[in-house]
Amino acid sequence: MAIERPTFHESWYRVAELHPRLRSTVQISRQHFRAQPWHVVQDHTNNAFFRLAEPAYRFIGLLDGKRSVAEAWKLTNDQLGDDAPTQGEVIQLLGQLYTANLLQAEVPADTHTLFLRYKKRRSREISSYLMNIMFARVPLVDPDAFLEKWLVLLGWIFSPVGFVVWAILIAGGCYAISGVPNWPSQLASSAGGLLSPDNLIFLYIAFACIKACHEMGHAISCKKFGKQSGTGGEVHTIGIMFLIFTPVPYVDASSSWALTNKFHRAIVGAAGMWVELAIASIAAMVWAHTGTDSPVHAFAYNVMFVAGFSTILFNANPLLRYDGYYILSDLLEIPNLGQRSKDYVFYLVKKYIWNVRFARNPAYSVAEQGWLFAYAIASFLMRVIVSFGIMFYLANVLNGALIILAAAMGVAAIITWVLMPIGKFLHYLATDSELARVRTRAIATTSIFTAAVLIGLGAIPLPDRARAQGVVEPADLRELFAETDGFVTGTPALALKPARDGLDMPYAEAATTLISAKNPELEAQLAGLRADKEYYRIRRDVEAVKDPAHAQQDQSQMNADDEQIKMLQERIAGLQLKSPIAGALVLPDLESKQHAYLSRGDSVGLVAGLDHFIIRAAALNELAGPLATEANRTVEIRVQGRPDILLSGRIKQILPAGSDRLPSAALGYQIGGEFNTATDDRQGTKTVENFFEIRIDDLKLVNAPKDVKTHNAYLDAHKLPLFPGQRVVVRFSFHKKPLAAQAWTALLQLFQRKFHF
Amino acid sequence: MATNVSIFPGSESSESTMPQSRASGPAVEIGIPSATWRMLASQVRTEPLPSNLDAAFDTARGYIARLKYRTGSYLARAKRVLALDPLYLKLADSDLRQKAFDLRALFRTGKDKPRDLLHAMAIIREVAYRKREEKHYLVQVAGALAMTDGCIAEMATGEGKTLTAVLAATIFGWRGKGCHVLTVNDYLAKRDAELMAPVYEFLGLSVSSISGDFKPDQRRAAYRADITYCTNKEVCADFLRDRLALGRTKDLSGALLGKMLYGAGTDKLVMRGLAAAIVDEADSILVDEAVTPLIISGEAPNEEQVEAFKQAADVSSRMVQQKHYTVNHRYREVELTDEGFHYVMDLTEGLGGVWNGARRAEELVTQALTAREFYLKGKQYVVAKGVPSGGAEACDPDEPKVVIVDEFTGRLMPDRTWREGLHQAIEAKEQIHINPPKDTYARLSFQRFFRSYRTLAGMTGTGLEARREFWQIYHLPVVLIPTNKPNIRRNHKDVVFATEDAKYKAIVREIQRLHMTGQPILIGTRSVKHSERLSEMLQALGLDHQVLNAVRHAEEAQIVAGAGAMHRITVATNMAGRGTDIKLARGVREIGGLAVLAAERNETKRVDRQLFGRAARQGDPGRAQAYVCLEDELLQRNTPRLVRLFRALCGKSDKPLHNPFLTLLFHRAQSKAQRMARSQRKMVLTTDDWLDESLGFAGTE
Repeated sequence: MAIERPTFHESWYRVAELHPRLRSTVQISRQHFRAQPWHVVQDHTNNAFFRLAEPAYRFIGLLDGKRSVAEAWKLTNDQLGDDAPTQGEVIQLLGQLYTANLLQAEVPADTHTLFLRYKKRRSREISSYLMNIMFARVPLVDPDAFLEKWLVLLGWIFSPVGFVVWAILIAGGCYAISGVPNWPSQLASSAGGLLSPDNLIFLYIAFACIKACHEMGHAISCKKFGKQSGTGGEVHTIGIMFLIFTPVPYVDASSSWALTNKFHRAIVGAAGMWVELAIASIAAMVWAHTGTDSPVHAFAYNVMFVAGFSTILFNANPLLRYDGYYILSDLLEIPNLGQRSKDYVFYLVKKYIWNVRFARNPAYSVAEQGWLFAYAIASFLMRVIVSFGIMFYLANVLNGALIILAAAMGVAAIITWVLMPIGKFLHYLATDSELARVRTRAIATTSIFTAAVLIGLGAIPLPDRARAQGVVEPADLRELFAETDGFVTGTPALALKPARDGLDMPYAEAATTLISAKNPELEAQLAGLRADKEYYRIRRDVEAVKDPAHAQQDQSQMNADDEQIKMLQERIAGLQLKSPIAGALVLPDLESKQHAYLSRGDSVGLVAGLDHFIIRAAALNELAGPLATEANRTVEIRVQGRPDILLSGRIKQILPAGSDRLPSAALGYQIGGEFNTATDDRQGTKTVENFFEIRIDDLKLVNAPKDVKTHNAYLDAHKLPLFPGQRVVVRFSFHKKPLAAQAWTALLQLFQRKFHF
Repeated sequence: MATNVSIFPGSESSESTMPQSRASGPAVEIGIPSATWRMLASQVRTEPLPSNLDAAFDTARGYIARLKYRTGSYLARAKRVLALDPLYLKLADSDLRQKAFDLRALFRTGKDKPRDLLHAMAIIREVAYRKREEKHYLVQVAGALAMTDGCIAEMATGEGKTLTAVLAATIFGWRGKGCHVLTVNDYLAKRDAELMAPVYEFLGLSVSSISGDFKPDQRRAAYRADITYCTNKEVCADFLRDRLALGRTKDLSGALLGKMLYGAGTDKLVMRGLAAAIVDEADSILVDEAVTPLIISGEAPNEEQVEAFKQAADVSSRMVQQKHYTVNHRYREVELTDEGFHYVMDLTEGLGGVWNGARRAEELVTQALTAREFYLKGKQYVVAKGVPSGGAEACDPDEPKVVIVDEFTGRLMPDRTWREGLHQAIEAKEQIHINPPKDTYARLSFQRFFRSYRTLAGMTGTGLEARREFWQIYHLPVVLIPTNKPNIRRNHKDVVFATEDAKYKAIVREIQRLHMTGQPILIGTRSVKHSERLSEMLQALGLDHQVLNAVRHAEEAQIVAGAGAMHRITVATNMAGRGTDIKLARGVREIGGLAVLAAERNETKRVDRQLFGRAARQGDPGRAQAYVCLEDELLQRNTPRLVRLFRALCGKSDKPLHNPFLTLLFHRAQSKAQRMARSQRKMVLTTDDWLDESLGFAGTE
């Protein structure tokens, strides 16, 4: 029948005459979610919870062990009319309460099903343990009695007084940090060393201690508010969770769910971070007041990092299932936010795409719908990011044999997070009775969607791009040598000005004298020769009439002298070092060369032509291979630090042999490049891995902001806003390939790199 | 729909018939305590159906079971049984009886060896020959062997399943824990028990049969017999009543404690446990009818509710389709439009009582509309006076009643009622006395009931199609037993028409043509309405014929038995008279045997086969053909979109249509209907499992 909630149920007779009641140990507390009252049924003896809506509560409340279910149902119907639970809903409710061990009836329970249920629960527990092997939990002790004793001492932490103390601490911490000169860079510079092997152990100790305090924060606050509101707030489990195989303490504070005040629940959720931030503040004060070399300083930094930074990043993030999530869920008054947001999106699909009748909306109000939808989308994106993050982290951190572990975990993750949900979904699609009427439609839309995604990934070729770092170099680069030996007398180069703003190298036009020198010996020789020549001229003039033959001899002597003079003059001219081309000058230590003696062939510096730049990029094997065959010759170039400037260029040459010398130290890891350089190399250009050099020419400006274009002084002859030595990112584009093919290649390359096959 | 049984069996029947117990010979007195214990031990099996990988594994086991229970091996063993014939042929009666008693003792202790089974079969065969002058054929022995292994033996119609059952029943009976032979109706139970009694008697077994009007004492006595012939409904109802009698504690210790404390409890039991059952027509009992739950109920007068049904009928009669409500033929549902909903609210304002709640009002009106739109007099039900019901309720015989017509058989089902107030809505529509919905005391689906038997075996004419289901639900392998003589039935291709009119005209023409030759004709229709329509057409042509629907089983059987006579025309709803053979009269064989015409294809292929199987039994000649049309309900319900397309393509011609895709269309409609029915049956079981698990505090069912 086309009725959403049929009043009667054919199995009603099984419960109608029973006189069940909640177990005597059960306690009920009232909570309000979005102005609707709910009732949390809690059994302290087995830590079982159940949340009842108002009508269900009214019904359950009538069950006192004397009234039969039928009587209670009739009463509820009289009172609530259409809102009263239907027979089917009552059966389901009773079943759920019974399964949660909250209900008892006068009849002895069917022992066989009891055992079956126990078995089922065990196997579910085990399978969920295996499913969440990355977050495996091992319960250790029951801290309840301990907390009971210590509550007196520590309970004040989560009181107004505690808050004031906490606020002072936080303020103190901030103040201490701000007192450190140049503190942002101080903080940042130490971050690099955090994951260095010799620090890891300290980091872990700090981590474990802080998390222990964090968990105790939850436990104590839970206990405190539980006692305060009378719901108990028992904490019975404390144990160790293996968070991606790293042991971390955890505590089970689920009894905080029964707290009636939502702020109390939120505080219990926030208690861990509360404690951590306090610790971080103390650590900040220590860090600020200890010398940079002391181990205490380093340890304080670790503590600060873990308790401050990681807490804010992970615990406070409501999109991950940590404290932030529960706090948000409590503050929004949307219990079970994560699951219900998923349900809500699924409901939208069911209702609007599949046209399922009677699809149940998990949201109770319009505002809630908005929250659920937003949360579903955000948490999905977060999940994808985190999954990839973990994968890359593992792939990077683990090497050799451990990569097999990472691969195994990857496979496990794919099974549990991808394949099993898909399998479950297919099973649902094929068999669920909810879809009985719209199955064709559901299957069709799902297939279309899947096909669209698969075609998108597997068939539509998309641009395949790769990036490499390169450095800008002038195409024309001349070294300056001293041509003639001599003493430096003047350095006009020092007086030269740079060609344009932002460039600190002096610029010289062609044939500008850069260095002038003197060589007295050459000058003496020149004077000697000139005198010699004068002697022969006079003798020739005298002999001309007397003895023409002699005069002829003198003339040739003179000619020989002339030649020698010319040579000498040239050599002397060479003392004036002129720039062979127009360009920027690199003349190291020029000031110190005043009066110095330059031998012929000594290098003085460089002159770089500024009217023609090329780019020398370095690419690793994986990139260089396909580059030679598959890449477009045209590449895009962006200047590092100025992503708004776009240039284009052409691959002119890929140097055939691999090299381990970088074109510039700018590409090396030591000064911020991407290539790992050998640690023993002072210059910072010797790489760990071989690379291939790619030369890019024909640079053109494609796009640049107005200020760059109009500001003529900023541009060179070719209007390129480039400086030699600048680091740029070159983007190569390969022939278009479907995304799936690209990912496959990348995966293969990763494995190849890790396993060297 | 549910089969209702009154809590007091036989309370209305005036004469008390003694149970047909013929215990004789040195039969061992049944130990009552152990019988009681076995009854208490027969829990309704709570093991849920396997799911996921377990289900796949289970299916794999099913395939392996097919290798184990092979037709060939049973035939080979049956040959060995036949070869033992000379051993017993010449024995004197007393010696044969002694041999039988020796074997009985052996089987009782459970120390029998495989070869003992073969000897036992040979002896039973000989006894059957001496007492009934029928000797089991090879295939019958093979079928019985399969059944002793707990299989379903697929044996064609007319292969002598009643006689085959004797072999297996004797073996189960000798084990001393009782054996139920389940037939489709009381008449067959009685007939078969009487027919085979001499054989059982000779073999040292008591036999009895149960019919609906038996009193508890008679039932108790009947169940105490070694072999009890009865219907599935009776045995299931007795089982449920016993469980009700036990109260909430149904386990052994609880019952014993109860007996010690209150002195009552187990004495009221009539059954002695569910040891073994042989199910005749296994597919219809274990599959088709198995989802209908059996309900034990009692009166629960409720004036207010009765009034509400009347008011709902009144309101619904004022509503207009499309405007106030929409009708979904495919799922047989009615849905109120917004306008209709407000209309109902307006009309019922101030009526008070149940009409105060909008939900309940909508429910009642929707139900009344459903009753009006989908439940048609003459098709789904008839209004009849004084139809006796097996359950015998307190009702005035002159009071007109709504009696359900079984869609499969076209038979009246006075015991059945529709669920959830629908029955009352129909009564209100017909403006007859409204019997208020009864209180349910106990409820059990046949599926679950049969799963509780320790040994279950079955026979059917058509089991292969349901092979997977037999395995999934009952773990019963199906063994195909060949016919004794080769089947020479000619199955003609379906004739397809565009309209129903054209179809019926063609059927009548064909009847006329065949009738001229003198060949007996059996026409199977799917509903009473159709059989009446056909009957009218034949009447108009002055063709003498018999119509089979909604009559007593005994007469039905007689008519069916006579359907093989020369020039006979019989119009029957599909499975009317199942269990009775149509024997050919003299001279009929020569002119081609019985001709079966199906006026429609059925929801399942099995039912088609059952109908066709009535022709050409035991090597006789015969022919079978189906006449179908695009307006058939099968297509309308299962492939509504496709059939619309075909109807547009084919027009309204009176000529038979020839389109290769039409065969596919019917095939698709049937497989879809079967799939839907199958998933529905599975859902019933899953729901039961869920209820069991979550209602554990309410005790076992």
